Amino acid sequence: MTTEDFYWALIDLANGLMTGATLGGYYALISVGLALTFGVMKLVNLSHGDWLIVAAYLAVVILGLYPVSPFWVLLPLVPMMFVIGYVLQRGLLNRVSTFAVERRGLSPIMAMMLPLLITFGISTVLSQALQLVFSTNAQTIRNDYSFSAIALSQDLSISTLRLGFLVLAAVLIGALALFIQRTHIGRAIRATSDDAEIAALMGMRTAHVYGVASGLSLMFAAFAGFMIGMSRSFQPFDGPPYLLTAFGVVVIGGLGSLGGCFLGGIVLGITQVLAGTYFGPAAQQLAGYLLILLVLAARPQGLFKR
Amino acid sequence: MTRILEVTNLTKSFGALTVAKDVSFDVAEGEVLGVIGPNGAGKTTLFGMLSGHITPSSGTVRFGGKDITTTPPHRRAQLGIGRTYQVPKPFGQMTVEQNLRVAATFAGQMDQRTADQWIGETLALTGLSAHAGALAGGLPLLVRKRHELARALAMRPRLLLIDEVAAGLTEEEVSAFITMVKSVRSLGIAVVWIEHVIRTMLTATDRLMVLADGQIVAVGSPEQVMALPETRRIYLGA
Repeated sequence: MTTEDFYWALIDLANGLMTGATLGGYYALISVGLALTFGVMKLVNLSHGDWLIVAAYLAVVILGLYPVSPFWVLLPLVPMMFVIGYVLQRGLLNRVSTFAVERRGLSPIMAMMLPLLITFGISTVLSQALQLVFSTNAQTIRNDYSFSAIALSQDLSISTLRLGFLVLAAVLIGALALFIQRTHIGRAIRATSDDAEIAALMGMRTAHVYGVASGLSLMFAAFAGFMIGMSRSFQPFDGPPYLLTAFGVVVIGGLGSLGGCFLGGIVLGITQVLAGTYFGPAAQQLAGYLLILLVLAARPQGLFKR
Repeated sequence: MTRILEVTNLTKSFGALTVAKDVSFDVAEGEVLGVIGPNGAGKTTLFGMLSGHITPSSGTVRFGGKDITTTPPHRRAQLGIGRTYQVPKPFGQMTVEQNLRVAATFAGQMDQRTADQWIGETLALTGLSAHAGALAGGLPLLVRKRHELARALAMRPRLLLIDEVAAGLTEEEVSAFITMVKSVRSLGIAVVWIEHVIRTMLTATDRLMVLADGQIVAVGSPEQVMALPETRRIYLGA
């Protein structure tokens, strides 16, 4: 191997690791909401991917009405999505929670099936509604950052937007973890996620706690949807593939674990990009799923869960 | 004495199975009422109806003079009904101190500073001060049982429902619990205490109530009740 070959091999590897890590930040943000609803409500939210797309469309609509710099859209978008999450949980999902199903004396099979059916239904309704309103034309959030990159050396550069999203993911997930650890309502979320019956016995209004957790979940979907819109185009039926990615991340990181979500995203991102670098683009998705399969077989509790 | 809890004609059926039938009793403020009865007598169902997890088919529950028959569990907790479970159910991923804190700040509705002080006192009373920083999920059984009581106390309840603590404990550990229950009473907290091992609770209870097949068989002073032929038949016959 000549020196030059070695140099390029190193550049390939460095590039793969960096691109993979930034892709990982993106994956992590997509997955946090899913991890949260699963961790707290034990709810598998099949409509998670569609909510990301809804957020992206909302961002486009708001920016269409008020053409400001795109980042400002987060200001109305994030609280809006929180409210939608809260109302959705209180108005609909709480009625099919394990708790509610038990109280109505339905079988455990129903407790398992009802939330899946309902969220699958929401997924269908959302994507159809988006198609009805926006047609199937691809949309994107117009911005000046899409193609900008930071050059680290002559042959090595990193996408500004992607790097920004990695940082955003780290900051937001860290903030969420602190919120859940340190605040009054955060402690209620942890207690309720551990044992909802006992949490009620300790004076916590679990319906409200679930509402807040669901609101937080969609709040993260707002960030993720914005990020999707900023870095690529999207269509009404793009939700399910994102849901699939999020499932992968959550499995790798450990079901319901927030830190695991972040690290899981990065591991998945790096695996995919490196596989793409060395075995061609076709290997990228395959490597991702192989990794998920491997983790499920060897460490079903996830790589980053004690 | 003022009555803190008034239960009137409480009945609960699951389909054809009646697990509580016309149960009526009162608890006075600061009183310790023992509840005994064979397995399946409806003791735990009764607690479920008092804490709000089980909705009675008919009858009323009044607490502090207020009808709470349809009040949800979290509201009852805030009103001052605390409960422990036979199998301790701590929030395992939280420390002992954090477990007590959610109880004090949510059910007890204390601000953080009041909670700090009350948690300190509760830990001392239940002998848990040394375990304050430990994860509740990793505690050994005896400590878990203390923790279960401590967390219910941290709510600063007016009525404490204790569901079987004696099972699995040694004589000494049981008497330590009795001492704790006595100090709970000295705080002015009324107690309803379900127990399977009867002897343990006789010294700490003001009155004893016997349940069998969802009905009250006898109520009275521990000596009276234990001398009744019905009680003897249920316990010695079984």
